[in-house]
Amino acid sequence: MPSNRWIKNALPGALGILLFLLIWELLGRTGVLGLTWPPLTSVIATLIDPSKTALFLRATSASLTSAGTGYLAGGALGLVAALAGHLIPTLQEGLSRFAAVVNSVPPIALASVFLVLMTTESTPTAVAAIKVFFIIFIAVQSGLRSATPAQHDLFTSLGTGRFKRLWLLEVPTMLPVAMSGLKIAVPVALIGAFVGEWFGASRGLGVLILNAMQNFQISMLWSAVLLATLVSLAVYFILTMVESIVRLRLT
Amino acid sequence: MATQYQNDKFSLKPWFIQFISRYWAILLFLVVWQAWVVINAFNPIVAVGPFAVLSDLINHPEIYLSNMFITFVVALGGLASGMILGSLLAIASWFSRFVSAMLTPLAVMFASVPVVALIPIFARLFGFNITTSLFVVVVITFFPSFVFTSSGLRSLPPGSEDLFRVLGAGRLTVLWRLALPAALPNMAIALRLSASHAVLAAMVAEFLMGTTGLGFLFAQNLERFATERAFGAGLVATIASVAMFLVANAIESHIHRRWT
Amino acid sequence: MNNHQINQTQLSPGPLAGRGTSFIDFDQISKSFEIDGQKVVALENVTFNLSEGEFAAIIGPSGCGKSTALRIIAALEEPTSGTVTIAGQPPTQQSTEHALGVAFQDHALLPWLNVAENIELPFRISGRPVTAERIDELISLVGLTEFKSARPKQLSGGMRQRVSIARALALSPQLLLLDEPFGSLDAVTRRRMNIELQRIWSEFRPSTLLVTHAVEEALFLADRIFVLTGRPGRLLREVDVPFERPRTDDTMRSEFFHRMVDEMTAALDSTENAPQYAVESLD
Repeated sequence: MPSNRWIKNALPGALGILLFLLIWELLGRTGVLGLTWPPLTSVIATLIDPSKTALFLRATSASLTSAGTGYLAGGALGLVAALAGHLIPTLQEGLSRFAAVVNSVPPIALASVFLVLMTTESTPTAVAAIKVFFIIFIAVQSGLRSATPAQHDLFTSLGTGRFKRLWLLEVPTMLPVAMSGLKIAVPVALIGAFVGEWFGASRGLGVLILNAMQNFQISMLWSAVLLATLVSLAVYFILTMVESIVRLRLT
Repeated sequence: MATQYQNDKFSLKPWFIQFISRYWAILLFLVVWQAWVVINAFNPIVAVGPFAVLSDLINHPEIYLSNMFITFVVALGGLASGMILGSLLAIASWFSRFVSAMLTPLAVMFASVPVVALIPIFARLFGFNITTSLFVVVVITFFPSFVFTSSGLRSLPPGSEDLFRVLGAGRLTVLWRLALPAALPNMAIALRLSASHAVLAAMVAEFLMGTTGLGFLFAQNLERFATERAFGAGLVATIASVAMFLVANAIESHIHRRWT
Repeated sequence: MNNHQINQTQLSPGPLAGRGTSFIDFDQISKSFEIDGQKVVALENVTFNLSEGEFAAIIGPSGCGKSTALRIIAALEEPTSGTVTIAGQPPTQQSTEHALGVAFQDHALLPWLNVAENIELPFRISGRPVTAERIDELISLVGLTEFKSARPKQLSGGMRQRVSIARALALSPQLLLLDEPFGSLDAVTRRRMNIELQRIWSEFRPSTLLVTHAVEEALFLADRIFVLTGRPGRLLREVDVPFERPRTDDTMRSEFFHRMVDEMTAALDSTENAPQYAVESLD
């Protein structure tokens, strides 16, 4: 039965995660790594502390908003650029190299540049957008090219125009690959948002983390990082599900 | 036409047309950047154009080189260590299906964690020094390396496992002659993915912790409002990142061609 | 008919080998490729023609360029020298007018479309009006009515090829090209598919060119057979197939049929077919 198999595969993985959490707790309890590694339970306690909930919620929503907006903007830009490069081959090489270079600019440099061009509050969004742009650009570009020669021959033999070929063949072939890119871009968008926040944003998980580090607030530091990680994993997980649905439907 | 969808390998274009077609977007960007700075007549504290950055680079190479060297050492050292450790763990867990199943979901999760957000924790744990920067790069490289090597070790050509069993090969022989060669292309992919991140991660770590390197150079000069130097550090880091990516990409292409 | 002596190499024309207007003119075609810096000649001065409504087959050993010949007719490749015309026009005209149906070796079904949608594809591309009945007609023509909503991954190899053939026939094409459509099937399925194909073909009688390396298949289905040699591909001979239509299992069991198979297999085997280039198949 398929569900049995699923459980059998998931069990060792769950065990591994459990073990990790256990080790975390033990390291904290025994104080082997000093004050800077608190036990898991106290980190969770800080996280669910009602007096801090409002703070965490504000920070999370601020980061998610900038990361999300950047994600959508960068994704849209990446899609358009990849389509342009695909439809107009002369533009292709230049666009690809530009995208690769932009991706190699350190996010902190990007953030400082954006600070000049826009406010401290929109800088996180911009940094996230740039990072996501590259990933989606590469994914869509590669996806558009992944139809087999036999499939292209089929369309040629049927006398297909350029746009029909794009819409009926290249786009459906591109979708599963684009989904993988969208999935990978999630943690990247969040990182971009955090780095952007370090340049003077007033709210966000990145701000919480930086302040906690500078003020030696260990439990706050760990809680904020844990929260950031959980948020990242949750969205990544959702997109993984969407990806498998898309793959199931289209391949 | 069938040939429409293949690359034109034997281009007869003169070199400058090739150059333009490859770098037009980058050149356009530089032009717009310089024009933007000139038109807005920015105070140099706020923003500078590409010429100012380049001239600072050329006039004070020692500062850039010494910091670049440190960042490079951290990036390369972390990249190599992370790849080796990740692959070793993947090989070790290859011997046990159970261990492998236990570790892989954990590793996949860690590979998608925003490592950059963990830097403050590492800094508090291990101190604000260069070892921590190195550790950050190792962590960024370790998990993708483990995940890709593991999947590579298991993606054997169909029928090959049976073949080896029939030939009476022991576990180590299978590892050495079958699984590792099969894993090599995947390991190369992990290398390519991590290579450009290595430099950038090292820089962010230096930036946050204030240790020497390009990240520190950047932060220091941002504070001093010496914007050319800060951008210069960013430029050098970009070039270093691109260079590492190109090398890793070349390695991966080579392995892909010879091994698949 | 079954008592013919096979002494002559040129057999008398089959009843349906139309001697009417030449539909496809394949004239002195040569095609060479460059593979790893070496020039490989796929076809050398091959000439043949096909009349309208005729079913022709190209047979030859693996890698002799027969698929290349088909691809040139399909306007998917251009010849290095020589001319091809179809109804007096260049081959591209067929696809431009959506008058060409091709069934590829690897079926090339789109995995995100089901059977009905795959067969509907030529209509969507050409913009020609289509009705649900027409699609159902085509699906039942290849005997897949219960599977019309299935997706390619749920079908067997033979079923996928049948969908591919139905799709090739969707626009009632003038020209039907089949590139080893049953190559990956087992012998029993293949035989059955040959009988099916003949039945399907008889409904429309498009001009058809079949590429195959199975001599029985060619003899069963075609009116004329062009035998190509090994690399470089040259036309060894043309054979007119004498069997009456409709051809049946009995036709295939007849002694005459077996002798023709033997004779043609021997012709393919002979030393002048030995490949001259040690390169992978060009098909």
